[in-house]
Order: sequence, then C-alpha cells, then structure tokens
Amino acid sequence: MAASKCTQLTVALSRHLLDSVDCVLFDCDGVIWRGDQAIPGAPEVISSLKKNGKRVFFVTNNSTKTRQMYADKLGKLGVEATADEVFGTAYCSAVYLKNVCKLDGKVYLIGSNAMRQELEDVGIRPLGVGPDPISGVPKDWADVPLDKEVQAVLVGFDEHFSYMKLNIALQYLCNPDCQFVGTNTDTRLPLEGGKAVPGTGCLLRAVETAAQRQAQVVGKPSSFMFECVASQFDLDPERCLMVGDRLDTDIMLGSNCGLKTLLTLTGVSTVAEADANLKSKCPLQQKMVPDYYIDSIADILPALQA
Amino acid sequence: MAGAAGGGRGCVTLRGAQIRDLLEAKHNVLFDCDGVIWNGETAVTGAPEVVSLLKKRGKRVFFVTNNCTRPRENYVQKFNRLGFTDVVEEEIFSSAYCSAAYLRDVARVQGKVYVIGCGGVMKELRDAGVPVAEEEDAEPGASIYTCPLDPDVKAVLVGYDENFTFMKLAKACCYLRSPECLFLATDPDPWHPLRGGRVTPGSGSLTAALETASSRKATVIGKPSRFMFDCIASQFDVDPARSLMIGDRLETDVLFGSNCGLTTVLTLTGVSTLEEALVFRDSQEPQQKDCAPDYVMESVADFLQALDE
Repeated sequence: MAASKCTQLTVALSRHLLDSVDCVLFDCDGVIWRGDQAIPGAPEVISSLKKNGKRVFFVTNNSTKTRQMYADKLGKLGVEATADEVFGTAYCSAVYLKNVCKLDGKVYLIGSNAMRQELEDVGIRPLGVGPDPISGVPKDWADVPLDKEVQAVLVGFDEHFSYMKLNIALQYLCNPDCQFVGTNTDTRLPLEGGKAVPGTGCLLRAVETAAQRQAQVVGKPSSFMFECVASQFDLDPERCLMVGDRLDTDIMLGSNCGLKTLLTLTGVSTVAEADANLKSKCPLQQKMVPDYYIDSIADILPALQA
Repeated sequence: MAGAAGGGRGCVTLRGAQIRDLLEAKHNVLFDCDGVIWNGETAVTGAPEVVSLLKKRGKRVFFVTNNCTRPRENYVQKFNRLGFTDVVEEEIFSSAYCSAAYLRDVARVQGKVYVIGCGGVMKELRDAGVPVAEEEDAEPGASIYTCPLDPDVKAVLVGYDENFTFMKLAKACCYLRSPECLFLATDPDPWHPLRGGRVTPGSGSLTAALETASSRKATVIGKPSRFMFDCIASQFDVDPARSLMIGDRLETDVLFGSNCGLTTVLTLTGVSTLEEALVFRDSQEPQQKDCAPDYVMESVADFLQALDE
C-alpha cells in the first residue's frame, strides 16, 4: 500500500504501479463504459494490460445481467472478455447463497431473470420473479401461501417491485431461520442512455424496514466480491489493483481487502471528495481514500505501450 | 411537564385509586386506536364503555391514529360497527386527515401533490381541497425510464400503498430532485399488525425506499412527530398538562406523548410489552427514555374501575 495517499497517477508512477501488480480488477459503470458507450480508450487499455501479461477482471454491483450477458456487452464495446472474468452480483449472490449460506432449498427472489438464471445454474430454485400485483384484502396478505422449502430471501434490482413482493418477503423473513441477502446497497442504477433510476439499495431498505432485520450484502464494498474472484483464480491481494469510480464501493472494497486502489474520474466520485475523506478523522472515511487517481483509465495507456 | 402527575417515565402500573386520581387531573384523553380500543374488527373488551363514560364525566376524547387507510367518515362507521356509539368525525385525527391539513394549512402548497398512498389519503386530500396529481394508468410504452412528469407537482406525500410499484418510486424520486418540492410521509410505522400476530409492511418501509432513492429525509406527519397534536390544538383548546395519551406502541404513541408534553399510558393489548417498556426506562439515552411511559395498564378496560363508581 502506498505510504502517501490520493496521489495523481503520472505516467512514471503508472509504470511503477503496473510493475507492482499482476492483476487489475475494474468496476464497469463509469470506468469502462457509461450507459451503452465505452469510455474512449478503455478497450485499448484492457487489451494492452492483457498483452502485458496482467490478468483482468470486471467487478460490478449491477445485478441485472448474467456473466455471459456482461461478456457480450463488453464484446460489443470492443473489450475482449470471457464470462469467467466477470463478477456481477447476480452471479456472486448465487455463489454466496450456495457456499456461505449453505443453501439447500429454494429462495424467494426479488430480482431479475438474470439473477434467476445464475441461481438455477448453481442448483438453487428461485421463486417470485416477474410481476406480482396485489390481490385480495389486507387480511389475506399475511395468509399468503408460503413455500416451506424457501430458506432465504434474496433482494436485487427488480423493476417489478411491488407491495405484494415486499409483503411476501416480509412473511418469509418473520421466520428468524430464513436467511436474508441483498445484492448491493447502491441507491441509483445507471441505465443505457445515461439516465438513472432508483437502485437496489432502495428496495433493500424497504424490505429491511418492514422486517426490522439487516440483510447480508454481497456487493461492494463487502469483501465477498473480491474473495469470490480470489478463490477461483488464486490471487495475492498485494499484487492486485482495484480500479473504480466510487469511493464508497470500489475504493472501500480495495481498502477492505488490502488491494492497491485507483480512482478514475469518469464516473461518480471527485478528487475533492477523496481529499475530504483523507483529511477526516473518521476511520470509515479513511477507507474511502484511493492510493492514486487518474482522469480516465485511458491515461494508463502510455505507460503500457512504452 | 410530562409526568407531573407523578409518573416520570417510570412505567408505574396503574391501579384502583391511582386511576381515579389520574383521571381527575386530566381533561383530555387521547387514544391510539389499533391495539388500544380495537384489534382489527374486534373492540377491546370494555373500550366502548370507557369512551362513553369518559364523555359522560365531561372529558374530551380524541382518537389519534397513524393508520392512513381510511377517511374519517369511514372511521366513524367502524366506531359504530364496533359498538362505540357516540364518536364523531371531529374527534378523529388520522395521519391521512392530518397530512391533508398540513399541506393545506402549514405548507400552504401551491400546486399539486404526487401521492403514493391509498384511497383514504386521496379522499382526505380531496376533502381538504388539496389538488392531487392524476396517476395515468399504464400507457403503452410507458416504463420506469420514460415516465412523464406533471410540472404542477410541488409536493410528494408517501404512505401505505398496496399498489406500490417501482414506477411510482421512480416518479416520486424524479419530483424530489427539485429541492422546492416538499417531501412528506403520513407515518413512520415499519409494519402493521394483523390478526393472529401476523404483520404487513407499513408506510415506513415505503418511505425508507423513497428516502434512499432521493437522498432526502421526509417530514413525517404521524406519531411520534408533534404535528397531529398541533392539529388537534388548532381546533380545540387542549392544555398538554391536562392531557393523557394512551397507546400500545412505545416508539410511536408514547414518544409522541413525551414530545408533546402529555402524560403517557401504555396499554398491553397491542404491540409493545412491559419488558420493552422497562428497557427504555432504564436506558441512558434521552431519546430512548422518552419512549418509556409514565404509566402502564393491562387494558383500557381498567379505567372502568374508576369510572363505574
């Protein structure tokens, strides 16, 4: 870890940094792409990193796509990637439920078809995907039939979120043995075309509030996302670089896991925010200070091509 | 000062002569409804008689409920149905009614309100003359990404809504991007009890979603916020020192009573338990201590001991 923090990454420092790592993990939204447009230079940087013998992984909190769907999107933007290099929360939640929660049954899912698919691929049967509008009267809702094989409630992004789904999740969560997992706490979900809508964090807060329980959260900054990659690919944290645009998710993940961290300014967070965290006395804020920052990942290219 | 009658947030169990003395000192009695005078469609045994006798003794009685699902006229019907024969609309203060009053009289909103809520809230707003933004039914092509906004919307009100959808959340969030747009919530209750110990999601859970989406905090009308008491006080001459608040939920009813300077009584026919009350009593934090009631009684029927003489 760098002795000083929040240093601008010059070309010379880039070379030094790249020599000190074998593996680079990239966030996607605001780092590789914005909506459906690649950040200029991003495809070339990924390609160049791989040519230089670095392993590259993509780590995203967005739960709306499977690993293959992400690999396809990256391909369309000119970035070479295979599904096993992608770690989205749809996939990671499925792995978490299987390996950490040791789930051996069904899960009530508030989420997308992508999440359903990733769960089925690891042998977990999800219930609940798709629209589920209210019917009947209030006294029916507490009596909604519950499947005895459901052992967990999983909450991810769901454009079909409704009161009925919230109610069903609550009924399952009244059983303290029913596990409660959320994909991520991001409050906004960036869309193709540059807009954003309320994120999974909002849906998760609704369920947590109704159930008066806290979910186990899989996504950044939880270290599980890194552990998921590291366990499959035998990574040494000290030889890994986390590149992201958000101090509270990407950089915090890096700090939590002992990775080197690089903030890119093509997305959400600013240098001013990073500096404010650096000067703060709060230990939590101190974890949200990157080792380095750069205007865009494209600026790494000169160091790679030298 | 709250607890001037001797309770001092001490969770003192009320018996016999103490009940009579307490009633002597108080002119106004404020009742929560769910879990206090009824549970679902069943009156708490003795509750109708208590209300009737209090009025005969010249006490003012008010009903203060966070439940925003009915307009006041429907509450009157429920009271009648359950055997409370002399309750009038003017005595009923629900969070729906008070939210409408707030928008009209306090915020004096000039424009429309975008409502996430049910029929009860809509009716109260209409009765108060507060314009509501019309909800277009799903048009073909409308999605969470392209929903049209009404430029006249100047406030967002969120409450219990069994028809809550992601689309409504996204729309409300768009309106709240403007800092001048007011953000109100009918009540903070995270869940509501149904019969048999079951629960259903409450306004608080929907408000939490919208607060998270907008990064803004809602102004909450319902208990434990003071506003419902201010609403009563604006229409009736109520002296907090001569008022009693009777409720079943420590974090809403009792805290409300503390916030307004009322003497508080917890009844054990609803949500909170004596054990929970004692934990609040023994806490070191002021906010927690305020959730401890001055007095505890098994049920409002205990008032009959003092009133029947």
